[in-house]
Amino acid sequence: MAFIEIKDLFKRFKKVTAVNHINLEVQQGEMLTLLGPSGCGKTTTLRCIAGLEKPDGGEIIIDGKSMITQGFVQPSNRGIGMVFQNYAVWPHMKVYQNVVYGLKVQNLPRRTLQEKAQQVLDVVGLNGLEDRYPSQLSGGQQQRVALARALIRNPKVLLLDEPLSNLDAKLREKMRFEIKSLVRRMGITSVYVTHDQAEAMVISDRVVVMNAGNVEQVGKPEEIYDQPANRFVADFIGAMNFIPGEVAEVPKDSETVYVHTVLGKKIRCRKGLDPAAAGLKVFASIRPEDVAVAERPVPEMENQFKGVLAHKAYLGNFLYYFININDIMIRAQVSHHVTQEEGDELYFYFNPDKCLILS
Amino acid sequence: MSRGNLALSAFLWFVIALFVIYPLSILVLESFKIAGTDTRGIQNYLEFFQDTYYLKTFANTLVLSALVLLTTTLFGIPLAYILARYRQRGKTVFTALILLPIVLPAYAGVFAFIIFFGKYGTANLLLMEIGLIQTPVNFIYGLHGLVFVQALHMLPFIVLSLSAGFTNIDPSFEEAAEVEGASGFRRFCTVTLPLCTPSYLAGAVIVFLWPFTDWLTPMILGQVDFLPSIAYINIAYHFTDMHRKYMGIVAVVLSSTVCIALFLLARWWVEKKKYTGLSKGTTSEGRVIEPSLLIKSVSYLYMIFIAILVLLIPVVLGLAAFSRRWVFEPFPDYWTLDNFRAILVETPLLIQNTFVFSGLALIFGVVFGLPAAYLIVRTRVPGKDALDFMITLMLAFPGMAVGVSYLLAFWQGIPLATHWIIMPIALFTRRLPYFLRMAHSSYLQLDVSLEEASEVSGVGKFRTFMNISLPLLLKGVLVGVVMFFVMAFQEISTAIFLYRGGWETLPIGIFLNWHRGMEFGIAAAMAFLMIVITFILLLIIARISGGILKAAWGPGGT
Repeated sequence: MAFIEIKDLFKRFKKVTAVNHINLEVQQGEMLTLLGPSGCGKTTTLRCIAGLEKPDGGEIIIDGKSMITQGFVQPSNRGIGMVFQNYAVWPHMKVYQNVVYGLKVQNLPRRTLQEKAQQVLDVVGLNGLEDRYPSQLSGGQQQRVALARALIRNPKVLLLDEPLSNLDAKLREKMRFEIKSLVRRMGITSVYVTHDQAEAMVISDRVVVMNAGNVEQVGKPEEIYDQPANRFVADFIGAMNFIPGEVAEVPKDSETVYVHTVLGKKIRCRKGLDPAAAGLKVFASIRPEDVAVAERPVPEMENQFKGVLAHKAYLGNFLYYFININDIMIRAQVSHHVTQEEGDELYFYFNPDKCLILS
Repeated sequence: MSRGNLALSAFLWFVIALFVIYPLSILVLESFKIAGTDTRGIQNYLEFFQDTYYLKTFANTLVLSALVLLTTTLFGIPLAYILARYRQRGKTVFTALILLPIVLPAYAGVFAFIIFFGKYGTANLLLMEIGLIQTPVNFIYGLHGLVFVQALHMLPFIVLSLSAGFTNIDPSFEEAAEVEGASGFRRFCTVTLPLCTPSYLAGAVIVFLWPFTDWLTPMILGQVDFLPSIAYINIAYHFTDMHRKYMGIVAVVLSSTVCIALFLLARWWVEKKKYTGLSKGTTSEGRVIEPSLLIKSVSYLYMIFIAILVLLIPVVLGLAAFSRRWVFEPFPDYWTLDNFRAILVETPLLIQNTFVFSGLALIFGVVFGLPAAYLIVRTRVPGKDALDFMITLMLAFPGMAVGVSYLLAFWQGIPLATHWIIMPIALFTRRLPYFLRMAHSSYLQLDVSLEEASEVSGVGKFRTFMNISLPLLLKGVLVGVVMFFVMAFQEISTAIFLYRGGWETLPIGIFLNWHRGMEFGIAAAMAFLMIVITFILLLIIARISGGILKAAWGPGGT
């Protein structure tokens, strides 16, 4: 049985449905990320797990114990640690007082407090800053205080609500790895909320993509990227070219589907997760890095088209080509060594194994 | 930095120098004068601090301040918490009622409570009638009554600042404590309250300073051994006894010093301790709780209790205003309009004066305040911060200090005090911060690029102000205007020193009717009339700013 089970969770704010009857499971020791645009219900779901919101329906089970249906369990009794988006490090308390607050509430002896604080400050790398006030710390250090405070009571579950969104880009990338390795080492079951897809990819064992209160897809990062369940997921995770068309034929005993599009020739695509039938309106979808570009046509290459380079965008480690074909703009990611100029005609082709059909 | 801005700055500084700095320095100089000689020295101050009576008044005032602060804090914390955090019906009405004393003149409250809680007042008579007590209980005359009246008057300031604090705390601070396992009460004491200290302090200092300013309430309640009261008595009753007059001025200077010092100390501390910068993205509503039925009922009872005390003021004054010979009866039994006839028909001058003086003060206020707000918010003219500081400081100055200093400064030398124009000028100086703060804050919210867009289109600074800024500022400015008028309308501490025969205003009329032992009913009718006018003005503000709540929350200071 899963360590955290969320069954049919429903939460509404006035007339807006924030979480629409979702089901989720988190395995013991797993790092699960709730990913989605703002307002998709990810934070509300997390706050329901924490007990900071009372759901309007459904059940949450943590470590075999009901949190909702057999009497609402208060946040303080759920055995959780939580890191808040703005850290919520109390500005009127020193680092030490912040960190041991949860233990002090239990009236533990001072020796124990000091030992535990020492350990946990060691873990997050804040030794020697016990007597500082939060206003004397950098954003990253405050983040660590929040983490230490969440960890000191050895929680069964660690909840993180966009913990890195207030840090600058460089620090954010560093902290991703730190949090991941820390949580791995301690083996805590954790739920992580973010709207940053790159962060979700790096940090999680599994990702839950949410939109408008619903779960769109659950899977390992590479599954979500390579096999997006629908157009929303494909668009939200990474970049994707969507070419509208309809299914032309579905050869039996084959993994491929042919799609009629405005590009002219039929495109050969990989069969998606959903069953496809001829006549179905779909999008032939391909990621920019899977679009290859050539000056001359490549003989006998499948899914090959001719277009005009409308615009080049330089992005540092690579270039984006915006290729115009029949008023459709195709994005291709190319390396530096290409020589085409804007206005040049060129050939491009899609790898059939990477070309998906999405509804 | 344009020449126009410099000229404007010079004009504003001239006004401040003439009407603030000059009279206040005369006041300080006068306090060093030694009676019977032409010399100056620190003898007056030495005497003050060696005389056991004066020392006693000083100590009494401190004790009173502490008691008033303690009372308002004890009653204010639950009240502010209920208003800020509980989701309840009728919250708006209760908030408006509880905050009402801010806009009611302090003397109106005292009169109402004397009638209701006096020796043979309604409360005592009713209690004796049902046989709970045999002889009247002294509810009001004495230190306890003084604390009660002043605390009720100042309660809104504590409630306002604390509930602003409760609302502005980032909810996650408390949620973090909740997750860490702290119970409700512990969370409140270790996280919520400490985080509120800066906003609490902002209100607490105003409350603490009130007994250093309010000379009238102690006198009406027969308690004169307080610093402002003794200053008033020494100056107003013993104007010919030079020594007592100087000692009175010393008392005024000392209470002003205490006010200014504590005011600045609190400002400095609040500035230092501000925690708000540390958190991002607070919701406008803050944390709101759905209380249990029991807590809900208790909090309703509590709010009703406070609201009844507040409502006693207009109700009792109304009863007294429409009756005659209300003595030894719990409720009046002879109803009449005589009192109003006396005010409205026989001596309409008082009402006329009140409106003329407040209206003129208001015009001065707008003419001075709008350019001042512009200068402070939008330019980098040197000395603009000092200007802002000087005007804000007027919030802390006791009204008596302004009145006495005007009397001293504008008698000889610049003989303004012989003309009635001194009255609106004094009101303008005293209430200026109310208007300026309102104009200032709405100016801050006005995006500068809206004005820059006009200037780039080739329109000059002055026309930009008239065409773009003023229309956009109008709402805030109008609220400031009405608030200024309300405060000028009920002003007494300054005016009482400056009025001469024929210049009396309604508040002075109330005081004189009480003081000369004339008809109590007329004083009550005047106070009632003022409450009605204030209420109408408040409704106007509510209309402008879209809500009675905002209307009541706007003002601050005494």
